[in-house]
Amino acid sequence: MPKREITIAMVGAGGDGIVTMGDVLSQAAARDGLNVLKTEAYGPQIRGGESSCVVRISADPIYESGDGADVLVVFSWADFSRFKGECTPAKNAVVLSDDADPVARTREDLGLSADAVFLKLPFGKLSTESGAKGSKNLVGMGVLTALFGLPVDTLRRAVVSRFGRKKAAVGEGALKAFEAGLLLGQSLPQMPERRLGFTPGPAKLIMSGNEATAIGALHAGCRYFAGYPITPSTEILMFLDEWLPKMGGSLVQTEDELSAIGAVLGASFAGEKAMTATSGPGLSLMTEMLGLASMAELPCVVVNVQRGGPSTGLPTKSEQSDLFQAVYAGHGDMPRVVLACSDVEDSFHTTVDAFNIAEEYQIPVIVLSDQLVAGRRETFDPASLVHEVRERRLPSAGDLADYKRYRETADGVSPIARPGVKGGIYQTNGLEHDESGSPGSGYDLHEEMNAKRYRKLGPIRDAYTFHRRYGPPHADVGIVCWGSSKGAVREAVRRANERGEKVAAFVPQMIYPFPKKEFEAFLESVEQVLVVELSYSAQFYKYLRSFLDFPKGRTRVYKRSGGKNLTVAEVDAEIVALLASGRATEKVSA
Amino acid sequence: MSEAVTLPEPMPLEFKPADYKTDLKPVWCAGCGDFGVLTGLYRALTEMQVKPWETVVVSGIGCSSRLPGYVDTYGVNSLHGRALPLAAGVKVARPDLTVIAVGGDGDGIAIGGNHFMHAARRNLDVTYLIMDNEIYGLTKGQAAPTTPAGDKTKSTHYGNPEPSVDPCEFAISFGATWVGRAFSGDLKGTVELMVSALSHKGFAFLNIMSPCVTWRGDDQFKALKAKQRRIPEGHDASSRAAALAYTRETEFVTTGILYAVSQPTLLDRLATVKKSALAGKPQSTVADIIKSFQPSF
Repeated sequence: MPKREITIAMVGAGGDGIVTMGDVLSQAAARDGLNVLKTEAYGPQIRGGESSCVVRISADPIYESGDGADVLVVFSWADFSRFKGECTPAKNAVVLSDDADPVARTREDLGLSADAVFLKLPFGKLSTESGAKGSKNLVGMGVLTALFGLPVDTLRRAVVSRFGRKKAAVGEGALKAFEAGLLLGQSLPQMPERRLGFTPGPAKLIMSGNEATAIGALHAGCRYFAGYPITPSTEILMFLDEWLPKMGGSLVQTEDELSAIGAVLGASFAGEKAMTATSGPGLSLMTEMLGLASMAELPCVVVNVQRGGPSTGLPTKSEQSDLFQAVYAGHGDMPRVVLACSDVEDSFHTTVDAFNIAEEYQIPVIVLSDQLVAGRRETFDPASLVHEVRERRLPSAGDLADYKRYRETADGVSPIARPGVKGGIYQTNGLEHDESGSPGSGYDLHEEMNAKRYRKLGPIRDAYTFHRRYGPPHADVGIVCWGSSKGAVREAVRRANERGEKVAAFVPQMIYPFPKKEFEAFLESVEQVLVVELSYSAQFYKYLRSFLDFPKGRTRVYKRSGGKNLTVAEVDAEIVALLASGRATEKVSA
Repeated sequence: MSEAVTLPEPMPLEFKPADYKTDLKPVWCAGCGDFGVLTGLYRALTEMQVKPWETVVVSGIGCSSRLPGYVDTYGVNSLHGRALPLAAGVKVARPDLTVIAVGGDGDGIAIGGNHFMHAARRNLDVTYLIMDNEIYGLTKGQAAPTTPAGDKTKSTHYGNPEPSVDPCEFAISFGATWVGRAFSGDLKGTVELMVSALSHKGFAFLNIMSPCVTWRGDDQFKALKAKQRRIPEGHDASSRAAALAYTRETEFVTTGILYAVSQPTLLDRLATVKKSALAGKPQSTVADIIKSFQPSF
């Protein structure tokens, strides 16, 4: 019986075309309506160098990269050791390597089981014979297509589309290499039980989390972006650099992050929807200016794509350790909103929500993404990119007759005048100020204006609290997680439910203001609680503890450093342990 | 074929200096040089007849950065050193607005120095006024990058160990396309220079020597008054070398336009970027972008 899904991992040296190979396979699968999730990892070289890629293709919905690769393609064993963490083959995997590789590995080295298949194939030789330079990757794709039932005609078109874009002859050469691989694959012993079986459907969208974030911003009406390059957020800047001018917007690459957020606030003051994107170190630099945004009630959106920290940390790897910084950083009492996106499609929606909240409530909104969500490519239905867009509250003619920028209102939101409007002139301030914006340092004024600024959080929480809940309404184990951990957790919940176990999960989009009611309802619906996060010091758990009373003796925390993506197996092991013991023990040391 | 042309009646001035004034009373000390700058700005704005509601004054932090609160245009008193980033955001997002950045020498040269360099390099379309008193006034008398070497201040009890800078030299080197120096004790000259700076297309930087009577005493005002001279007739303001000759002066404080050239501004360049991006085609929509992510081979 054919399989519903397949996970292919590939590793190669610089020039082996691993990234292109992953890309073409993903594009072809998306074209035929399959679900795809692709992650990449690179060596430290600035350009070229070894790389790896994992593509998971499925006829059913998928939420993360899979536990172990069904197929591992290795063009260079010397480079494989660098990516062991990313490209682990399943015990019974099919492993295909180049027969001319000077470094030899055996099935025993990889710890494969007896039903695994270990083949050395003439990738390099066929590549040379095909006449297409450096086409190991195309030969490899041909072999994979033949052995695992990938859509052959779609792949042919994908190859031609990818390589023949500039010169038709290059496309034809690439196709030759692909066909050579196809023939090789057909000549090998067939493995029908490992083939992918599916019915082609309408093409899906395929993009990265960073791209979805940028598109979300444009959809929300963002026409001004200022930013400073920083891994792993830079793709947002580069994407908007290409598209903003085509939409009548402007982008400025600033001299540093202080300037980026400053320019965003300037643009916002001028009446435009504006955003910047950064990663942990950049968010640290922006913190003072976020205080100004909070004080002067200037709408702005900051996307923070988390990486391992502190300091320079692990710039290319994911972690969930900027939570405290996003929620707490800043001097003084500084209301802000923190949202988290949990997958690629969600990055679009979360960014639109961020703009809606920022504009409607005149408050800085931080979107926490992370390298895993931002850097991976995922498929989804084009029809899902629909989201209501909201605007800031402008003063009415009546407001302008006696305009006060920070006029007291029931919900704390005062109409904000756009420069150019005659009656709307005001001077704003990082100093404490009265309703008209004039500085003041009296206690009463400070207390009153703090209350005004904080008053906005209640309506925001009521209007925008959004969370996802998976699993049965009452469960023996309830998992609480946030952001990119959702992928592995959701898949683990699905598997547990398939085994007949009552396991559920709760994933909030809004981190701050804290959706207390929703969390409490979830905790009440489960017997034992498992908190899952990639933060060594368990920031999420500690944050939750400041709002919630976790059931004593029935709460367990699974936390570790980032640097390696959360796997289903890890979550699964926790679920199994909890169900077996029937009693959780809290263990948090850091 | 000719058409009848009716010449318009000369318009009475729509805005008077008082129209640019807010009700807020300045926090400055009596005799502060910043008063001259504020009065000068009211007069310059009047001369230019800029619409208050189409003008934005942005500042950082410091005594002089309180200025936006006293000018009845849109205004932001932002963070220490960050007037120019905010001004850049306003101007790029809204080229239709007149944008003026103001602040002190510590704000602009010390903590905000990086932004000064890059705003000048970009030829950002704003006017930048520094009120230079060679001291940190708001924090009560510490040395600034402009404080002369050897000067005793609250943070240099044994004499300033560091050499000072001339903000005009920085501005010229960084690529500002209009650089001038004024003395706030010379109101007429200050107004003339402000009008010229505001009329310039591109990054115009005016360093206004604005004595601090509280932390540098009467001596600073007297010395400036004694040393001030108007830039000699015949100065070639298009020459960088000639302009630099009037920086780092010790004998004189030369006021006037040191440097003025015409170059494409940041907004000019961004307009070119938009034109190249569109390549004669209509503006893209989000739907166009989304479609480009759906494989169609």
